[in-house]
Amino acid sequence: MTSPDQIKKSYIDHVLTNGEAPKSVYNFAKSLKMSESDFYKIFSSFSMIEKKVWEDLTLQTLIKMKEQEIWPQYSSREKMLSFFYSYVEVLKTQRSFIIYTLKNHTKRLTTPEVLSDVKPLFENFSEDIINEGIDTGELAERKFISNRYKDALWVQFAFIINFWIDDDSAAFEKTDEAIERGINVSFDLFQKSPLDNLFEYGKFLSRNSKFREKMGI
Amino acid sequence: MKTQESMPTTKVARSAKFIETGFRIGGNYVKHFSKKLFNPDLSREELNEDNAEDIYNSLSELKGSALKIAQMLSMDKNVLPKAYVNKFTQSQYNAPPLSGPLIIKTFTKSFGKSPDKIFDTFNLNSIQAASIGQVHVATLNGKKLAIKVQYPGVADSISSDLKLVKPFAFRLLGMSEKELNIYIKEVEERLLEETDYQLEVRRSIEFSKACSNLKNTVFPVYYPELSSGKIITMDWIEGLHLKEFLATNPSQKLKNKIGQALWDFYNFQQHELKAVHADPHPGNFLITPDEKLAVIDFGCIKELPENFYQPFFSLVVPGLMDDKAKTIKAFRELDMIHPDDNKSQIEFYYKSYKEMISLFALPYRSKTFDFSKPEFFENLYAWGDKIAKMPEFKQPRGVKHFIYVNRTNFGLYTLLNELQATVKTDTFQPKIN
Repeated sequence: MTSPDQIKKSYIDHVLTNGEAPKSVYNFAKSLKMSESDFYKIFSSFSMIEKKVWEDLTLQTLIKMKEQEIWPQYSSREKMLSFFYSYVEVLKTQRSFIIYTLKNHTKRLTTPEVLSDVKPLFENFSEDIINEGIDTGELAERKFISNRYKDALWVQFAFIINFWIDDDSAAFEKTDEAIERGINVSFDLFQKSPLDNLFEYGKFLSRNSKFREKMGI
Repeated sequence: MKTQESMPTTKVARSAKFIETGFRIGGNYVKHFSKKLFNPDLSREELNEDNAEDIYNSLSELKGSALKIAQMLSMDKNVLPKAYVNKFTQSQYNAPPLSGPLIIKTFTKSFGKSPDKIFDTFNLNSIQAASIGQVHVATLNGKKLAIKVQYPGVADSISSDLKLVKPFAFRLLGMSEKELNIYIKEVEERLLEETDYQLEVRRSIEFSKACSNLKNTVFPVYYPELSSGKIITMDWIEGLHLKEFLATNPSQKLKNKIGQALWDFYNFQQHELKAVHADPHPGNFLITPDEKLAVIDFGCIKELPENFYQPFFSLVVPGLMDDKAKTIKAFRELDMIHPDDNKSQIEFYYKSYKEMISLFALPYRSKTFDFSKPEFFENLYAWGDKIAKMPEFKQPRGVKHFIYVNRTNFGLYTLLNELQATVKTDTFQPKIN
């Protein structure tokens, strides 16, 4: 019996060698010396395989990253930076295939179908580290806004992947800069800022309006 | 130290930073002149202080080559007003560090492993900034190591930084673009060399070997197998920086010993190797507990070609300058007198440069020299001030090699002055054919 991993490998190999997906599942299954129905037991379509590749690479990053001894000592900001640095390193191993899977996706503002399994993974991870940051006081808890933080990070995710796909600098050094800058900007916005204090101050003043009346202000 | 969270890296972001500085400097001038309307006695010191502060702030946020330029400007104390110098000298020690994950990424890229897999311990918090990189402490097999990690994108941005810094250089030095270009190019070449850490490791090993016979000077061991284009691994050397060392109230004898080691280190290189460690800023040296001078950075090496070395150092050894024709010939070779200068110009530059070289070469003219004497430096600065005001010196003169040779020797003199050392100056004599 052919394992999912073997199917995945052969599929990637076929796509990269021929520049396109196999003509039919029948054809592809035959080349693997398996029956079409056996193939469907594992994957329902080729695009399922592509999704699986993304999902595996993402999971691999999340696992590898948390194995780092330093991981528990990182702040939320550093955890997110570390995720992206590891992620582009892992994606690099399948760069050609990754570019192939996104090639047909032209509407850049929507989430590509091939990433539909990656998105919840990333969002779970984001939510975990955002909550952690809020617990430690690193990030500001803001009504209605703080549960949208993860959406902002997903936008960053899409931006960084797009940047990396177009990056032609040596060793993708520019992508590293994009990560350092982008993630830092996001986290700068997530953390407590003078605006929060201003908001709090306004709340304080309105709550103590009686006192103000007495003072004749 | 506060960790710097964002580094403006694209050219646009960097330009924005510089433009901001430009505005603020403009503002400072406005402030200065409007105050001056009411108080004519107001000194330029305050203005310079304001400007220096703004320039420094934007430079230190930019990091990399811009910071390097700040350092370089601060080396030439004789060219810049005091307030600039004080601010810029800060840049030799302080620059905010980069994020931990990026450090790990840099290691993974170079070695395929994170630093904790390579070393027994690795401290992700850098202990020191090194202008185009930062220094981390690690241990391996019981040995303490110093690891220099370069900021990503530094090499990329040097040329664009230099283009951006040019207008400020023109303003500070009062030169035109065309005149400055040849010098900027020399600086750019050296700066680009400095970003090549593999080259630095190679040179560090070469130079520490060549200088191994020097008394009282030590070098760290370098580990090429643990170094890459972005990372340098070397032994950690215990010791104090010059300022810390001086704060311990060392005896005059000890100060002379360290001063002598410095003098020998530089003059051995200049006259025996004809290539010199051209970055004599205090951050590159340590004084070890067993009273030795440790040299910990070979990023910037200036090679002295014969067609510069011979005419320049022939002026330094006694005798030649008594012969006017020979002196003028040397000045011509060094481009200090231009071919199209007329008679009175030749006479003028001959006199001025003779005065300068005599001052500069003073330490070579006796067997020992006391660098604690303020007169020597006052004379040097006074000469620098004087020529800065003379229209004849608005045009830069001299071959490009002067930049780094001057920087090296003035840097050395300044270090010796800070040490208040008396040194034997005849240990390594210029080799004139």
